Amino acid sequence: MSELALAVFAAARDVHAAPRETRSRQYEQFAASFDDRAYVDELSQRGFRWLARSDPAFPPLLGAIHDPPPGLFLRGAADTRVLAAPSVAVVGARSCADYGAHVARGLARGLAAAGVVVVSGLARGVDGWAHRGALDAGGTTVAVLGCGIDRDYPRAHARLAAEVAAAGLVVSEYPPGVAPAPWRFPARNRIVAGLARATVVVEARERSGALITADLALEEGRDVLAVPGEITSALSRGTNALLRLGATVVTGPEDVLEVLGIAPRPNEDNGGPAPGSPAAAALAALADGAATADEIARNARLDPAATAAALVELELAGVVTSQGGVYRR
Amino acid sequence: MLARTFTHALVGLESRRVEVEAHLQNGLPAFAIVGLADRACQEAKERVRSGIASAELQWPGHRITVNLAPADLRKEGSGFDLPIALAVLAASRQVPLGALAGHAAVGELALDGRLRPVPGTLVAAEGARRGGARRLVCAAESGPEVLLAGVEPVPVRHLAEAVAYFRGERDPPPVEAPPGDVAVAVPDLADVRGQERARRALEIAAAGAHNLLLAGPPGIGKTMLARRLPGILPRLDDEEALEVTRIHSVAGLLPQGGGLLRTPPFRAPHHTASTAAVIGGGPHPRPGEASLAHRGVLLLDELPEFPRPVLEALRQPLEDGTVAVARVGGRVVFPARFQLVGTMNMCPCGARGDPAAQCTCSPQRLDRYRERLSRALLDRFDLVVALPRPRAGELGGAAGEASAAVRERVVAARARAGDDLARTTDADALLTRAVERLPLSGRGHARVARVARTIAALAAAPHVAPEHVAEALAYRSPTELAVA
Ligand SMILES: Nc1ncnc2c1ncn2[C@@H]1O[C@H](COP(=O)(O)OP(=O)(O)OP(=O)(O)O)[C@@H](O)[C@H]1O
Ligand SMILES: [Mg+2]
Ligand SMILES: [Zn+2]
Repeated sequence: MSELALAVFAAARDVHAAPRETRSRQYEQFAASFDDRAYVDELSQRGFRWLARSDPAFPPLLGAIHDPPPGLFLRGAADTRVLAAPSVAVVGARSCADYGAHVARGLARGLAAAGVVVVSGLARGVDGWAHRGALDAGGTTVAVLGCGIDRDYPRAHARLAAEVAAAGLVVSEYPPGVAPAPWRFPARNRIVAGLARATVVVEARERSGALITADLALEEGRDVLAVPGEITSALSRGTNALLRLGATVVTGPEDVLEVLGIAPRPNEDNGGPAPGSPAAAALAALADGAATADEIARNARLDPAATAAALVELELAGVVTSQGGVYRR
Repeated sequence: MLARTFTHALVGLESRRVEVEAHLQNGLPAFAIVGLADRACQEAKERVRSGIASAELQWPGHRITVNLAPADLRKEGSGFDLPIALAVLAASRQVPLGALAGHAAVGELALDGRLRPVPGTLVAAEGARRGGARRLVCAAESGPEVLLAGVEPVPVRHLAEAVAYFRGERDPPPVEAPPGDVAVAVPDLADVRGQERARRALEIAAAGAHNLLLAGPPGIGKTMLARRLPGILPRLDDEEALEVTRIHSVAGLLPQGGGLLRTPPFRAPHHTASTAAVIGGGPHPRPGEASLAHRGVLLLDELPEFPRPVLEALRQPLEDGTVAVARVGGRVVFPARFQLVGTMNMCPCGARGDPAAQCTCSPQRLDRYRERLSRALLDRFDLVVALPRPRAGELGGAAGEASAAVRERVVAARARAGDDLARTTDADALLTRAVERLPLSGRGHARVARVARTIAALAAAPHVAPEHVAEALAYRSPTELAVA
């Protein structure tokens, strides 16, 4: 049986690529005329690779789930070894709040800085911020698509996808040309959960896609962690419910690293701003939580120009993030 | 019997000399205007006939032909009324023929013979000066405008007054002193409380003539700040002022009493304005908002609400500072070098950037909004400032610095801007690192470099130092416009 033929056949017929599909007459006819070599050549001409499940490089964790894909189509620079490296899935709401965006980015940054591969689904909201955070730290990140390997979905993340591909891998069980469809997203989520040693949920509504990913991770016996949120926010219902069920509380990247048994990097490459510098004053002004540039300027006794310069310095050092003019450490 | 007067027809912002020739022949009484006259110009027949009667002068009982030369130039509008009337009166010897020498005339006649000002009199007067006319007969209101062009006005209120002048029955009115500058009330920055970062960005925008985008929730002073930009810009020099005054004259928007427009203009078209209204054009090409904002500020308040064709049409003036309007028999080019200011909310429901409100926009809606925005000239804004809603109490603070003080710094920075400051090695390294770490495009690199140079000029620094680059990076497009 050719795994590639099955993947292409299933995609063409819009069915799940399960081994039983190979028992049909249509499949036999299809497989008889399918030329693996030619297909792989064509893929590589378009900049894609195929990693069959039977390939020794296929990530063992993903191969161990109860319904693994016949293989993965790959796009990007990284070696297939990154798929087997210690990895964490960071997932959550597409319409996340600024809080979720900030937390996802910060966690991913911390994890990537400790050498962990950050896996997510390239979706809007938490997924996108998780990839972004890993990229911030110069780390490796893997994006799992719910559509053909040649598609950028959502379109707004085309540039992000290119950055992910440059620093890691974009992967999909679907060959080029497969359009995104709602029923493919749960299938995509099983790959996200399957690739990762642990899954962290950052903001999720009840009955949301991120909870499906968490369920899939639990079924495979992987660790599930959740970030606590405000009890009054609908975006916290899903995560707080997970915590009630026994998910590990995440208050920072260290909590995730502890679950993985990885020691946090002792000396971060940026030692923080020099004491007495405007950047140090600006950072101190953020000790009590998020603040606007004007508030920071007032508390740090800096003029608006010096504040702006100091905050950019902190952003570049990865110590502070900004969104909509609000800064957080 | 034949008589000639001269006037000057508008072609965009230029004028061309037009000879108005009245020919009286024996035959059945008739009145024809030939020489490519448009409808408003054809209607001159009624106004001239009625005006002459009202001035208690005689309508000649001849076959009258008025020829407007050159014939290939389309004659538009009602400014030909007065020269036509004068030519007819001279041909019928009711005005001494020789008296018209050295004069040009422009103005519209009311049916009762009163004279009305017409748009573009300044431009016509400049044409008259170049054409060698010493004096220009015009409506009383247009006197100051004519004086600006360096031509002696003969301001008259009624056709009868013009006739009396040419008959030598009425002394030419005394030549007034050149009018003072037009006083334009610009609101002061002192009214804006808090919003220190936005005020700083406004100052940088003024110093470097950078386009500025203000993004934030409703009611925090975005529009208020934008309206105060002209007040901190350097006042226009003679040449710029004349250019701007000319455009406003052609648009018929020059305030009464004349004088030069020294304050950089401010225009804020509503998002429902048509492309022609914003860009210019129409059957009689008139400057649009983009040209009326020439050497001043064009505010697109609620930028994402503007329809795409309008935003697309603004690309040309943003690129080269002109708009070209197609018209019958060619193109007219209007200057349109304006500073663009946009305002917007950070999401369609407006709640983003407001710690007290929860955004209710669906991801799809947000995506569409961002996509619209990225087409909405986002790449044209050197400075993008996210203004979060200030906490309660902040707006009760002390009054801000007044516009005059800020303008002084802006003027000083502009004087230094020619120095073409170079970046230090460290500043260069920072910029390179930022392009790698932050979502910045290649264009973004150039934008940051430009803004950093302006910041260094404001600081009177000898080089562009790292702190200047760092500050410039703070006003880049907020990351959430680029990701997630
Ligand atoms: N920083 C401020 N200082 C003083 N008054 C302010 C300030 N911000 C807002 N106001 C008051 O609120 C009114 C509304 O401000 P403005 O129209 O500039 O808000 P906006 O940000 O443009 O909002 P929108 O998005 O609704 O257009 C102003 O006319 C002014 O009276
Ligand atoms: Mg407004
Ligand atoms: Zn919203």
